[in-house]
Amino acid sequence: MVGLKTKNLSVLPPDAPLQVDETSETLRIRVPAGCKASLIDEAESRLTITLAENAELTYYKLIQEAPQAVHQSFLEVQIQRHAAFRSHVFLLGGGQIRHTIHVRMEGEQAECVLNGLYLASGEEKMETHTLIDHIKPHGTSREFYKGILDQKAQGLFDGLIIVEKDAQKTDASQTNKNLLLSSTARANSNPELKILANDVKCKHGSTIGQISPDQLFYMRSRGIPESQARRLLVYAFASEMINLVDHVPLREKLEQALFAKFHV
Amino acid sequence: MLEIKNLHASAGDKPILRGIDLKVNKGEIHAIMGPNGSGKSTLANVLSGREGFTVTLGSVTYEGKDLLAMAPEARAAEGIFMAFQYPVEIPGVTNNYFMKTALNAGRKHRGEKELDAIDFLKLIKEKAKLVQMDPALLSRSVNEGFSGGEKKRNEILQMAVLEPRLAILDETDSGLDIDALQIVAKGINALRHPDRAMIIVTHYQRLLNYITPDFVHVLASGRMVKSGGKELALELEKKGYGWLENKEPIRSAS
Repeated sequence: MVGLKTKNLSVLPPDAPLQVDETSETLRIRVPAGCKASLIDEAESRLTITLAENAELTYYKLIQEAPQAVHQSFLEVQIQRHAAFRSHVFLLGGGQIRHTIHVRMEGEQAECVLNGLYLASGEEKMETHTLIDHIKPHGTSREFYKGILDQKAQGLFDGLIIVEKDAQKTDASQTNKNLLLSSTARANSNPELKILANDVKCKHGSTIGQISPDQLFYMRSRGIPESQARRLLVYAFASEMINLVDHVPLREKLEQALFAKFHV
Repeated sequence: MLEIKNLHASAGDKPILRGIDLKVNKGEIHAIMGPNGSGKSTLANVLSGREGFTVTLGSVTYEGKDLLAMAPEARAAEGIFMAFQYPVEIPGVTNNYFMKTALNAGRKHRGEKELDAIDFLKLIKEKAKLVQMDPALLSRSVNEGFSGGEKKRNEILQMAVLEPRLAILDETDSGLDIDALQIVAKGINALRHPDRAMIIVTHYQRLLNYITPDFVHVLASGRMVKSGGKELALELEKKGYGWLENKEPIRSAS
């Protein structure tokens, strides 16, 4: 076992027996059988994670770059039998961000949760590309990404779930919701399912919308000024994803980023 | 307190109200009844300031001010409350936080000290008893997943917290079973106050079995066709609306 040398990652608990290989350009992390840990990643660009049988990993990714910065990162995950991988990806700032996750559900009863939130304003472009490949039976995957886009920002969600022929009894869902705060912001959403097995439960959906005039009016009719009501509704939209984060300092950091971006 | 004069209004492009006159003094309870499509909800919407409704003629004066020139939040801050027929769900905003924000927005507007979290919780727990609201609903998102009865109770709870001077209740009895109706009516009655006026908009007389109005007005085809005391509601219950729909509108001497 090798300890983590990079400053970009932190492991919780710190003594979790993760196996790390830093010899190549791609950082490789193995979560041994039965091990439960969390990983906070603030800058790695190429990462491969393998979860051995019955392992559980909660992975947090934060990307907060300058408005001109270009950032691309690639994460590959292999999930073995009865293991569970849960990720929370937050794209908080950057001129051009492209975040990709490829998940291989290699063992039976593998579980995968991909959550994400992207917050873009100005002329930022944020792309999310995900692939979940169900290879073995009885796998479960839940994917939920939300985006808030203001000014001239652009967001792209491109998600593909493949259910292979042998992956019977797969239960998969994929959701993408976008909130546009200006008429010049753009969101593109491409949720896609490719199902080769015949006994599966799969669903997907996406929405692109603006602040609900009915919700806004309801709040104003209770005396809440319009600007404050708008802020509260933006906060409510984002907080659904932020509240899924158990790690308190991280959650506070996310709240601050949300506040800085949209003044909510 | 409130004076509506010759009010004409459209919903979208469609003229709905064709000359409404109504005067409400403090402490009074007015019931506005009428068949579907008579303009009851349009009147309530115009008073609350909802978009999509245009006043084409006439005026509404509230405490000497032009109500129609005021933004919805300003109307609320000045003491007007609307209990909606279809309360909106707001996922991600807890009921407690919503009501605290609303209450403090009003207090700020009036130059009063804002309530802190502890004082607010004390207040809300007290008020929740009034409508027999399950305290668990206070920490849930506003109206999200609430039953029809819970949503209406939540409206009355908000009214109890905001303590308006003029409350407009739009079809508050619709969709309620008899138990929920009694709880809601009890809550409304507890909020009767010599300084507070209420306008109860309703299709059916049954809510008025529990809340006795001082005046009953009948709206048909966008006009007030009859006004009277509480006994008018009972007459309508017996005879229906048909006998009134062709009547000439009544106009106050103005």
